[in-house]
Amino acid sequence: MKNYIKIIFIIAFVNFIELNISIALSRAYIIFPLTFLCYSYYVYKSDENINPIEAFLFGLFVDLISNSYFGLNAILFCLITYLINIYSNSFKLFSYLQVCIFFGISAASYVGFTQLIINLYNFSYLTLLISAIFNTLFCIIIAISSMYSGNFLNIRR
Amino acid sequence: MTRISPSPGQKIIYLLLILLGGFILYVDINTNNFKNIKNGFNSFKISSHFLIKSFSINPIIDFKNHFQYKDRLIKENNQLNIALEKSYVEKYVISQDSKFFKDTKFLEDAANQNSINKPYHIAQLKKLDPNIFNCCDKHRMHIQLLTESNESFIEGVVFNSAGIIGHIIHDKNYKEVILLTDTSHFLPIKNVSEDFFCNARGSGTSDYVICNFNPLVLNKEIAIGQNFFTSGLGGIYPKDIKIGVVEDVRTIDSNNTELNIKLFSNPMDSNLFGVINF
Repeated sequence: MKNYIKIIFIIAFVNFIELNISIALSRAYIIFPLTFLCYSYYVYKSDENINPIEAFLFGLFVDLISNSYFGLNAILFCLITYLINIYSNSFKLFSYLQVCIFFGISAASYVGFTQLIINLYNFSYLTLLISAIFNTLFCIIIAISSMYSGNFLNIRR
Repeated sequence: MTRISPSPGQKIIYLLLILLGGFILYVDINTNNFKNIKNGFNSFKISSHFLIKSFSINPIIDFKNHFQYKDRLIKENNQLNIALEKSYVEKYVISQDSKFFKDTKFLEDAANQNSINKPYHIAQLKKLDPNIFNCCDKHRMHIQLLTESNESFIEGVVFNSAGIIGHIIHDKNYKEVILLTDTSHFLPIKNVSEDFFCNARGSGTSDYVICNFNPLVLNKEIAIGQNFFTSGLGGIYPKDIKIGVVEDVRTIDSNNTELNIKLFSNPMDSNLFGVINF
């Protein structure tokens, strides 16, 4: 229970950061789903499989705090949890670069799907492409920095 | 530690939850069933933000100001700022007087309610998410009246010193305003010579509304730089209020031409707004 509260606070805090930096990034056609990436990282680093109901509820919570449509993040959080749970053992065979590309592409898919729902009239492939590159680079930078500076991002169940 | 792949039972739960999520998403997009939860959470967020601020940051700031013997000066400055913004709003109403109050019956009604001196209300900005305002389709803001009033403000016109911002769609403690740039908002407009009318849809980006028309039906040359006004046909906004200027004319195909109209008003320019019922 303590762990869940900790995760909820981290998600709320990360979402607050995401909302604040997104204004600046949107000028450069970048959408940076930091909350989604943090949640994916939490599922990836977890020692056990994440319960689908837990993923769904975290998604609903993100929908509530980010003022988006209910169900949008719930679906996407469920999907990413399912994907990571399926490939959790395969990830061990992958290089860091491949894992980073996986997270970058999943973040780009998240951006594409959310933009289709909340921003259909101004959907932009340019934004999608730049966001995919940016998110992949971000994952690579985080992977490199955690390799060289120890496990400072160690969020485990 | 080795993690096992999801069992068939878990896969079914994932599938069911994704279907449930899709259903909730569909319901939320097409109906307003979750409006109360969202509004309740937003009210809680705004109230707790102000409460926490008033108990944490404000005392420190006040103490600092008191310590530096500048608190009175700062308060006076704030009051002057509010008064200045109010005067801008009032100035706008006066400059548009003949348009806003053209309907004499409205003036008579206002006089009967002893509010002839101020037939509009001043409201303060409570919440406008600049992130949503700069990117997405749904452009909303929350305002709160500075004066107590029992009348309903649903469909009340909200304006600032530069022009009309939008109208109120939910009237609770904090009033929710749909902005002109919201993609679900349509504003009936016309040109100066009153021979071209169209419904300007919100563009989903700040400062712009879009007007689509069929050039085969409306054979009218629209030049860049031409001013557009409210036509008053929607029944919400008064007519003849200057809205914006044509910045771009794009021919999509032979049946569709798009006007990009830059609005004169921007909700992020001010903290105080006028609210008026027509």
